[in-house]
Amino acid sequence: MASPHFSLRHILALSACLLPLTAAAQTIPDLVIKDGTVMTASHGTIPHGAVWVHNGKIAAVGTIDEVSKAAPTSATIVSAAGKYVTPGIIDPHSHSALGNDVNEATSPVTPSMMMIDAFDNTDRALYFALAGGVTTELLLHGSANMIGGQNVSIKNRFGRTREEMLFAGAPRTIKFASGENPKRVYGSRNQLPSTRMGNFEVMRQSFEDAKVYMAGWDAYNAKVAKGDKEAVAPHRDLKLEALADVLRGKLLVEIHCYRADEFLTEEAIAKQYGYKIRAFHHALEMYKVGPEIAADGTGIATFADWWGFKDEAWDAIPWNAVMSMREGVKVSLKSDSNDFVRRLNQEAGKMVHYGGATEDEAIKMITLNAAWIMGVDDKVGSLDNGKDGDLVIWNTDPLSSYARAEKVYIDGDLYFDSSLPGYGLTHFTGVMHGGGFGGADDEDTAEDYDGGAL
Amino acid sequence: MTKFNRIIVSTIALTFAAASAHAQAIMVDTTTKPGVIAIVGGKLLTVSHGTIENGVLIMENGKITAIGTAAAVKVPKGATIVDAKGMTVYPGLFDAETNLGLTEVAADQVNNDLVEPSEEILPHMHVYDAFHAETEHIPIDRFNGITTAIVAPRGTDIIPGQDTLIQLAGRDRDQMILTRDISLSMNFGEAPKRGGQGGGAGGPGARYPSTRMGEITQLRQALIDAQEYMKARAASANKPADAEASADSGRGRGGPSAKFDLRNEALIPYLKGERPVIVGVEEGHDVEAIMDLVTEFHLKVVLSGVTHSQGVLDKIASYHVPVIVGPIYDLPEAGERYDAVYSLPAELAKRGVKVALASYSNEFIRNLPYAAGYAVAYGLPYDEALKTITLNPAEMFGIADKYGSLDAGKVANVVIANGDPLDVRTDVKQVYIDGIAIPMVTRQTRLRDEYMPKK
Repeated sequence: MASPHFSLRHILALSACLLPLTAAAQTIPDLVIKDGTVMTASHGTIPHGAVWVHNGKIAAVGTIDEVSKAAPTSATIVSAAGKYVTPGIIDPHSHSALGNDVNEATSPVTPSMMMIDAFDNTDRALYFALAGGVTTELLLHGSANMIGGQNVSIKNRFGRTREEMLFAGAPRTIKFASGENPKRVYGSRNQLPSTRMGNFEVMRQSFEDAKVYMAGWDAYNAKVAKGDKEAVAPHRDLKLEALADVLRGKLLVEIHCYRADEFLTEEAIAKQYGYKIRAFHHALEMYKVGPEIAADGTGIATFADWWGFKDEAWDAIPWNAVMSMREGVKVSLKSDSNDFVRRLNQEAGKMVHYGGATEDEAIKMITLNAAWIMGVDDKVGSLDNGKDGDLVIWNTDPLSSYARAEKVYIDGDLYFDSSLPGYGLTHFTGVMHGGGFGGADDEDTAEDYDGGAL
Repeated sequence: MTKFNRIIVSTIALTFAAASAHAQAIMVDTTTKPGVIAIVGGKLLTVSHGTIENGVLIMENGKITAIGTAAAVKVPKGATIVDAKGMTVYPGLFDAETNLGLTEVAADQVNNDLVEPSEEILPHMHVYDAFHAETEHIPIDRFNGITTAIVAPRGTDIIPGQDTLIQLAGRDRDQMILTRDISLSMNFGEAPKRGGQGGGAGGPGARYPSTRMGEITQLRQALIDAQEYMKARAASANKPADAEASADSGRGRGGPSAKFDLRNEALIPYLKGERPVIVGVEEGHDVEAIMDLVTEFHLKVVLSGVTHSQGVLDKIASYHVPVIVGPIYDLPEAGERYDAVYSLPAELAKRGVKVALASYSNEFIRNLPYAAGYAVAYGLPYDEALKTITLNPAEMFGIADKYGSLDAGKVANVVIANGDPLDVRTDVKQVYIDGIAIPMVTRQTRLRDEYMPKK
């Protein structure tokens, strides 16, 4: 066992992730939500539908009759008459709960930064997001560096321990960036990169180094496999180890990228070095090159209608998401903001306005497709049997201006109930932190890479 | 293309040209005489007198001349008829505080004219001197039904200057500007402090005023100076010309100066209570502190912001001043419930306060109606919500005789949409400003159409 691919830190993180599942599964009684308009995100909308959650997992979705027959009579029944039920909302691009530690902006290549090390599970931004129906978030490294750090996937079990809020079994993901931010941050210090040429040169050189590093380890492992007792292990370098894991396909690559030309360059570099790009984030010009990028199997996590806040957002149009979707790109919406994360449902509603998305398509952009961006679409993102019991009950159609999340369940357990006094929280008893980095890494000026608020 | 859209296109008989420079915004010549237009068959949200189903609205050369049911209003001969069956018709929306035309791409500092930071008391700064009529933001904002806006400087000076009222159409700046100095912008609390790096009272680069005491003292001194100046000017107006020439120079710091001074002169209409002072303030205790001061000088006040004043809502109601609330998307502060800010419009309206909403932005102006919708989600009655972005701000700025509702005699700023104006899913189909059908074309629709997949 000489594999260098897995650091001790990863092992600790993963073993910690196992805790909540066992704790949750033992204590949560069966839950049936019935008589709501059930928007499944995967197979349409069921009027007067119902959902049964057993041991924290969805056990039945259908009409009231179908679900009532399946569920035990001992289940807790919650009426959603006149209300709407959706999967928990998923934000695939957030910097919440990372305090002022979003960017390790001291080098343009920092792939061994682990965002889990900055994760503050008591940040009240998570509470506000939960109250907006958000149950899963991808907390990303910022966009100061061409190759940033490894992100942390969380389930928004606000009030639980730090370990219990991690998303067990979520794949490892890494944040890359491109364009204005890296060149501004390093260019302002008269360092490489200060241009887009410099940006991509830094990336290519990093992967050249990683190839050499990977070859050294591959040769060593081959010797060990043949029983060579004399084999000497190469030096372990956390940075190159992380890049080698990208080349080995062990990390989902999430790239901050705005412009059409840069999507094409990024895809070309990925092909050259043999890795896949999971998603472009922001991706405001995807409508210009949708078919090309769809063919590469890369998705996007984009804003609904943000534009014009910087030069590389100048060609943004609010029809981008729907046009890209029609070209075959897997499209999700994201917040990149402690503000917008609270109403991603409204952002999805705008897709009906801008481009004529159906309500099913719009809901999918903030649930199932967002789950795919994070690589957790087998576990969350739709109301299907076997998936986590992450559900939101809304007072009205979540795609309207008038929607409020009334009850939010994670693994079949109630975490937020707006009818409760105080904060409306069921598991929170401690002290909330907050006031750190407010997200929206793209709107910030250079100073904000030091962690200032907007 | 619906029948509706074809009719609209045929009504567009006006000149529009691409402007040069950074922006190529569609400029609409509002001196064009659009003739008589009749919008028929729509659901009319008048704002001032309820909803009219299957209504008729007549616009003639820039004014609304008649409005009512199909039975009550006769369509004049020769009128261009716009079929609005199945549509909702409402007055053009009014954003009570924006930075429109003061910035184009926010990250490009060289083009930003958001605020003059060199001093703290600058009533003689006029945003109309910076307002860029050709900004691409204007067509994009009016595309969602915004027709009228207050352009204000950013709130980081105690008095950053005077605000300008614009309509979102015009061939040039002068056609867009309706009132050059409509109100005075004033701010108190954390934002105007000159605390230097790291904030607070100290830190490198700190200068006066770096505390709230400093802000209030500086403001009180400036208002006293202006009062003395006003008296001295009035007195010197009654004296021979040579008396004025020999008067003290300076801004009247304590002395009875009568020399013309731009800064003091700019404050006179506000000291006389002729125009509103928009007082930007967030915290409850700051509201109380600044209200003590503005009451002392008998200023005509509109409060703005009050985003973290949940503890003094009754007190705010007792001032009997209108309030521009928000942005309601401001994050709650430590200890506040998730909906503490969302529910402010409802809580103030419940206490009888006249409430307006504003985007307080340049980038998100087009989302103004959705904020009103969200205020409804958190308790504000629907009719009141619609008023917060139409009639209420018009009243606060003293222009409700011309703007803010669908009434005969008012300026024909009218929006036709395929549904509820406050809902995010609604598509605006046609906007009229000054009775002119605005081309529903923006930089963004042009990009959309250029890249739209060919069938």
